[in-house]
Amino acid sequence: MGRSSEDLAIFIGRRLLQLIPVLIGVIVLTFLATHVGAIDPCARWFPKAHMDTIARCQAQFREPLVVQFFQYFVPLLHGNWGADEYQNPVLPQIAAHVPATVELVLAALAIMIVIGIPLGVIAAQYAGRWPDHLVRLFYLSGWATPTYVGAIVAAIYLGPYLGLPTSGDFSVINPPFPQRTHMSVVDALLAGNLPYAIDALSHLVLPASVLAFINMGIATRMTRTSMLEVLPLDFVKSARMKGLSNLAVLYKHALRNALITTTTVLGVTAGGLLAGTVVIEEVFNWPGIGSYAFQAMGATGLPNFDGAIGAVIVFAIAVVIANLIADVLYGVLDPRVEWR
Amino acid sequence: MTEPVLSVEHLSVDYLVAAGRFRAVTDVSLSIPPGRVVGIVGETGCGKSTLAQAIPRLIPEPPAKIESGRIVFQGTDLVPVPAHRLPLVRGTGIGMIFQEPLNSLNPAYRVYDQIAEAIQIRHWREQGILPVFRPGPTPFDYSRRPMPGTAEVLSKPIVPGGATAEAAQRRLRTRADYRREVLEYLRLVRINDPETILHLYPHELSGGMRQRIMIAMALSEKPSLLIADEPTSALDVTIQAQVLTLMKELIDEVHASILFISHDLGVIAEMADDLGVMYAGRLVEFGPVEAVFHAPRHPYTKALLRSIPSRYKDDGPLPSIPGSVPSLANPPPGCRFHPRCPIARPVCAQEPAPPLREVGSTPTADAPAHTSACHFAAEVEQLP
Amino acid sequence: MAAPVIDAPPPVGPVATRPGVRWIPAVRGFYRIMRSNPLSFVGFLLVVAILVLSALVVVDPHAVVPYGASQQTGAYTAPPTLFRWPPGGAHPFGTDGGSLDIYSEVLLALPLDVGIGVLIAGLALILGGALGLVAGFWDRPGTLGGVGSAVILRTTDVFLAFPSLVLGLAIVAALGPGLWQVILAVTITWWPYYVRLVRGEVLAIKHLPYVVAARAAGVGEGRILLRHVLRNVLEPIVVYFTLDIGTILVTFSTIAYVIPQGVPYPPVGAARPEWGSMMSYYYGNALFSQEWWAIVFPALAIFVTALSFSLLGDGLRDVLDPRTRRALAETSTSAAGGTPVGASTASVHPTEGG
Repeated sequence: MGRSSEDLAIFIGRRLLQLIPVLIGVIVLTFLATHVGAIDPCARWFPKAHMDTIARCQAQFREPLVVQFFQYFVPLLHGNWGADEYQNPVLPQIAAHVPATVELVLAALAIMIVIGIPLGVIAAQYAGRWPDHLVRLFYLSGWATPTYVGAIVAAIYLGPYLGLPTSGDFSVINPPFPQRTHMSVVDALLAGNLPYAIDALSHLVLPASVLAFINMGIATRMTRTSMLEVLPLDFVKSARMKGLSNLAVLYKHALRNALITTTTVLGVTAGGLLAGTVVIEEVFNWPGIGSYAFQAMGATGLPNFDGAIGAVIVFAIAVVIANLIADVLYGVLDPRVEWR
Repeated sequence: MTEPVLSVEHLSVDYLVAAGRFRAVTDVSLSIPPGRVVGIVGETGCGKSTLAQAIPRLIPEPPAKIESGRIVFQGTDLVPVPAHRLPLVRGTGIGMIFQEPLNSLNPAYRVYDQIAEAIQIRHWREQGILPVFRPGPTPFDYSRRPMPGTAEVLSKPIVPGGATAEAAQRRLRTRADYRREVLEYLRLVRINDPETILHLYPHELSGGMRQRIMIAMALSEKPSLLIADEPTSALDVTIQAQVLTLMKELIDEVHASILFISHDLGVIAEMADDLGVMYAGRLVEFGPVEAVFHAPRHPYTKALLRSIPSRYKDDGPLPSIPGSVPSLANPPPGCRFHPRCPIARPVCAQEPAPPLREVGSTPTADAPAHTSACHFAAEVEQLP
Repeated sequence: MAAPVIDAPPPVGPVATRPGVRWIPAVRGFYRIMRSNPLSFVGFLLVVAILVLSALVVVDPHAVVPYGASQQTGAYTAPPTLFRWPPGGAHPFGTDGGSLDIYSEVLLALPLDVGIGVLIAGLALILGGALGLVAGFWDRPGTLGGVGSAVILRTTDVFLAFPSLVLGLAIVAALGPGLWQVILAVTITWWPYYVRLVRGEVLAIKHLPYVVAARAAGVGEGRILLRHVLRNVLEPIVVYFTLDIGTILVTFSTIAYVIPQGVPYPPVGAARPEWGSMMSYYYGNALFSQEWWAIVFPALAIFVTALSFSLLGDGLRDVLDPRTRRALAETSTSAAGGTPVGASTASVHPTEGG
């Protein structure tokens, strides 16, 4: 009924096609944000550069805006995303940093799912009573905590208290195995090196937990709302009348339906998760695109103009892809949706 | 006299809401012998659905509260049973089918999965993997003990095969076994070519099909009591007829007792052996269905029967009952029907209605007594 | 024809209705919300306290703030003094190495931070709401309005693709540091959410039977839509506005933290301090162990303020849930390329009965 694998391919394909105008818009917007209205950008972006770099930069900025855009856009498509102060190309740098952020975000998502969703179920079960209020207080506190506050508190207090490392993704700068995927845990596992994998995991725990705690509200809140809608429905009563235990009714029947909207919302709020990585990676010295962007913006030391633009574009692409995944997941999880 | 499958004794169910306390069901007593179909009929808001869902303790207890009474199922009172033990009695003990089959089947799972789940629960309970509410008598096993004496043999049920039977029971059911059983139950509810619908989702089926599947799901656990809460009210008339016919055939095959709730007198007339009439939370009349239909002994029942439009008469306006159903927050004093009753007397407003008392036929081994909760039951006969 | 599934308890006796005053039901509804959810009541009280305190700090600072901004207290002690609760002359939140009274700085920053939250939320609401109205009303494909509406939607999708913090940082990096630049940056990242919200509401209203009936009866289209749409859209807007004040505050202070030149601290001249830049300044320039109070109290201030608004907003959302759920469903239909107006195959199909 419109749900065969060919239909799914078309479903995904159509959405991929719709990605393209958005991606172009993203690049245009990033360009505008960084080039328009910039007052003396060259001095700010290249404060300590050579005279000829600044001269070249100023020549660039004197061109009409459209020309500037194409001067930027065309090399972008060819993989030339510019270079930093020391003439190192930006794209390989970004490519090396992205997987670590992916690892961090996935870990945070895992924590949000494992902790946040059951909390939402509990809150829905005991709606209006004290477990509900406790859960609500918990996730609203996460929401109200600025990222850097949470990160600093975790780094300064929780880390030493729990004995968890708070810096970097490994205990040594260069672990003794090739970093093929640039994801710490995955690389260690691929190399078969279990002690290092555990080391990588222990480094992952704190930053992922902070990221998860701050964004937990999304998962919990949506689960609670969906469960509250689903629980009074008749099929939950049918499930109870089959003789299933309360847990089975809640998780196997009710949650299965409530998850449809929850997963979609989780995917869409990928943006919030990515925004959090900027500060968290900086505080925890995590080698991801977030700390790369942080440094590229010039908050610490020299700014990296092309790197900053590249990082922002990568963030936007990631959000767009996450939304795509969420949309597809929705179509898959809800049997009533047709994949046309 | 065999023990009734279900015996409700003076059950009262309250709803506690912010605005106050409603008594949705007041002092209802009825009993369902094994193999019998008991119907409950009444208008919207009379408490029949509350009664139906209170019996397996299905209504969430925070807003609802069983204020008093006993619900005795197979000899055990369900009211004091703690919530975590309630799943044990449901499924294989009490089954239920609901009104709106689109909402009563889980939209996210296929037909096969939903029925197989029910069958699996029954299997696991039979095999002892899951606890049961009240274990049945243990069959005698010849392979394990020294040969029994005659008295022992005569006192216990016999399971042929002993060890092999046990082993057969404990063998893990394979997917093929489940599939076979699911198909069996689908054929039981008269679905032709059941293989074609196994992989479908509920929203891909028609209403009548969904209702059959729900019946199959409930029956597959072989409950002793089946509660049918307005099972045909949401169906078209033709489909309704099909499903009712199916249920009547199943009653003969399945040997469960049925509690059938409906607002439709015609449906009840077809299905029920015994009939109870509810009004404003109380049972006002109860008895064998022919007795209640042909010789109603409560003014409400009489008025209800009179208000069914007949296809062949064309004389004058449709008779109806003046007034409207009372609010359960402020029920009228005395008998709740007295403001609308054609034979109301002053005593009806002052004294509460009497408990159900026998009028007319005496109970036999098969049929219950015909009872009515009216002071003036004898006069009902004379009403037009 | 079908009887209800459960015999629900009939409504309570006659509800007391006094003709005339229309806000009484709203007040009673509000009271019910507060009573049912003690957390939102706490949030409400805190929000009121915060607003009152902000007003006081602006109107009559000397009543609540012991020292002015950047005013050195003369307490040249090292290590600086810690909590001392007796009023008058003491430093409840301690002082920093340069003898600035932290309590005063925190209080002085209060109206700025809260005001910024309200301002940005308001701007985003007005801008996004207006665009959402336009995109919702005139969206028939093929007409000029349809094209305009599609343009608005695509642009919104593009903006939504940027995590708010990232876009804000990029804009500030481009425009240079400064309070108004940061405000502009955050506003630019926030308005798309309101476009989606309002548009979703407009689309939902447009096809309601009573609106269609009114249109058929000849009532002016713009007028009736405006009246009905505004009435219905008010509820989720209030919820999101309240919630957003807290979230915007957190985002703004994060940008101020990351790019401290945005809101300079210590404040120069008549400027006010800001919590995020305060934290950035102290975290960067002082040993945490020696001056933890200078970092902790601004952080607490942000936390409590954001939490209060979030508690209030979350409680409100409980009651106004169905619409915000619908609005959430709208925002969740993918921003990956956006979905054609009204024809998303991933939107929930109303399951047809039978």
